[in-house]
Amino acid sequence: MKLVCSRDALAEALAIAGSVVISRTPAPVLLCLKLETKDGLLFISATDTEIGLLLGVAEVDVREEGVALIPADKLNQIVRASNDDSLSIEVSKNIATITGRDSKFKVFGFDPEEFPGVPTFDTDDFEFETNCNTFRRLIGRTVFATAVENSRYAINGVLIERIGRNLRLVATDGRRLAVARGECTTNAEEDLTSIVPTKALNVLNRLMNDPDEPVRIRRNRNQILFQVGSGPGAPVLSSNLVEGSFPPFEDVIPKDQDKKVHFKTVELASAVRRAALLTNEESKGVRLAFADGTLTLSSRAPEMGEAEIKIETEEYSGDPIEIGFNPSYLTEGLKHADSETILIELKAPNKPGVIKVGTDFTYVVMPVNLG
Amino acid sequence: MALSRTILHVDMDAFFASVEQRDDPSLRGRPVLVGGRGGRGVVAAASYEARRFGCRSAMPMAQAVRRCPSAIVVPPSFAKYEADSARIMDILETASPLLEPISIDEAFVDVTGSLRLLGDGPTIAADLKRVIRDELGLNASVGVAPCKFAAKIASDLEKPDGLTVFEEEGLAVRLSTLPIGRMWGIGPKSKARFEARGIRTFGDLQNWSAESLVASFGAASARFHDLSHGRDDRPVVGDRTAKSVGHEQTFGVDLADPREVEGVLLRHVERVAARLRRRNRRARSIVVKIRDGEFVTNTRSRTLSEPTDRTDLLWETARTLFREWKFRPVRLVGMSAERFEEAVPDLFSAGDEENARNRRLDAATDAIRDRFGGEAIARTASAFPPG
Repeated sequence: MKLVCSRDALAEALAIAGSVVISRTPAPVLLCLKLETKDGLLFISATDTEIGLLLGVAEVDVREEGVALIPADKLNQIVRASNDDSLSIEVSKNIATITGRDSKFKVFGFDPEEFPGVPTFDTDDFEFETNCNTFRRLIGRTVFATAVENSRYAINGVLIERIGRNLRLVATDGRRLAVARGECTTNAEEDLTSIVPTKALNVLNRLMNDPDEPVRIRRNRNQILFQVGSGPGAPVLSSNLVEGSFPPFEDVIPKDQDKKVHFKTVELASAVRRAALLTNEESKGVRLAFADGTLTLSSRAPEMGEAEIKIETEEYSGDPIEIGFNPSYLTEGLKHADSETILIELKAPNKPGVIKVGTDFTYVVMPVNLG
Repeated sequence: MALSRTILHVDMDAFFASVEQRDDPSLRGRPVLVGGRGGRGVVAAASYEARRFGCRSAMPMAQAVRRCPSAIVVPPSFAKYEADSARIMDILETASPLLEPISIDEAFVDVTGSLRLLGDGPTIAADLKRVIRDELGLNASVGVAPCKFAAKIASDLEKPDGLTVFEEEGLAVRLSTLPIGRMWGIGPKSKARFEARGIRTFGDLQNWSAESLVASFGAASARFHDLSHGRDDRPVVGDRTAKSVGHEQTFGVDLADPREVEGVLLRHVERVAARLRRRNRRARSIVVKIRDGEFVTNTRSRTLSEPTDRTDLLWETARTLFREWKFRPVRLVGMSAERFEEAVPDLFSAGDEENARNRRLDAATDAIRDRFGGEAIARTASAFPPG
């Protein structure tokens, strides 16, 4: 294999492919990226056996076809550190030679036959289609709320649900729940309900740079496949699905909240962040007191001090209420709401609070007992 | 000036040996040595009958048997002692939540807040002794005093079955005749150093200022001046103020069977879990402490994804930590639950059947123990699915 490639395009592709590769594995081939030339493009594939990524680099001049398996981190470091506009890569007998203006690196690779391989996506064979703009927003509004480890439910991933044209992503860690809604650009007969690992969606997010490009989705037994954009080099991300059942999230979305008030998102977020400055492990939460057109946020950290921040809320409807929340749950919800204004809905101090953006985003948070 | 306190020190009499004599009538009235018989066996407890022959706990078994050839040697059953201990602590706790267990058979109780409700210190002490005897058939010696140090000295003065009261007034005078060997922290070696300077009793210590004690015997002796007067402001640390809840037990012998050690560990877990629940606390960190026959102490801990007070979850974690340790004969095993956090109600807890089931089981177990005592019901290690 012999090619000359734009350094920037290569660096970008390698960074994304490298994020799939796991750093510790007993199988050295899994630490590698597979490089392969085809139809004048350079294809890079990466896998951690759960997730697979195949993406093409077009800014390349292929001089000699071939295939190679090169350790991801060294290749990444060499390309990232280079100042050249373009780099030449030549692979012979599993040894890659990367040559720049003033540099020459030899990196020992492996036999490409040993690489497990990653699925491809036939562009015409998709179940449904949406666009990067929509899908990015849906992922951004949910993926932060997934659980890191939980033995009880399959909540270490995001539930993707499509019924007709309606697309819904749901994530929870048991203390808060994020539901984001959007539309598909195509319809499909069969509904889809799958739980996708958090890592796959984080990689997918990095692939969706152009908001107008399509994202095509297909299920393949226990796998889900995403193709971003069109054309021969369009990246394909595949992922095993999370097995198990998602908790009955519909049941915990409150439906009879009677205290409602709108906020400018940045204003409320700033208040929560400032009130959180005087909380610690013992104090547990920030107190939100709604009354007489004012929201008062307060906190108290034993042996440290107290904070109080007031926001005018012209249209607060309902009786006065005081409720405590973990400030980081509020901050994350407000940050990912991705909207200028949000609606807060409450019922009682011991009942979940809700942050809403129209019908597109619903974020349910358990209150904390401030004692 | 702090308010006057009333503190009880409760110390079970020849605990392990008394339990064995209670459970086997043929042992009653006879010298009993609890401990391993093997070459390196050590006496874990000696009945009062055996003590008359000079047998003491921590003595090599071979030596004890030489002193008292008629003694009956009984192998220890730690799980049984644990169960009795748990019940004893429960009884003590009825006098005050400020209960600080210091070992399997010894605890401080600060009853200052209970005096109005339950009567004065000696009355409470006598009541506790009676309940322990009626319910468990065991004798306790109790010291009543205005501070921990004096209470501990008092409980030892009239053993067995003693009840000794030190009033605040005249306390220094009452202590003055005690030999300095009873001073907390003065062993045989330092005793000789003090005696060489003419300090033989607490009264002698009272005449030395803290400064001159430090000058002559080092910084550690500063507190002896206050202690010799019966001044000790250390609080009784109950579970409410404690940062962790734990139990540990030293065996006096090396336990070579991992299953036996696991059995003891499970008892610890059950007690810790019950105490967490009674305090309405949930812990996020589980610590298991193991000391081997070479006296090397190993501490392992694990943080849970969410705080819990469920026996099954605490046991699962403690057992995993124990099994990850490369087993060798064990001297001491302990378990504690730390990092208390408020149980944040879970969005889905209402629909979580497994959680609800285990909570019902824990609640039922607690209720049975409250009513019938610590031994009435227990999990067995083998009742859990093999891990």
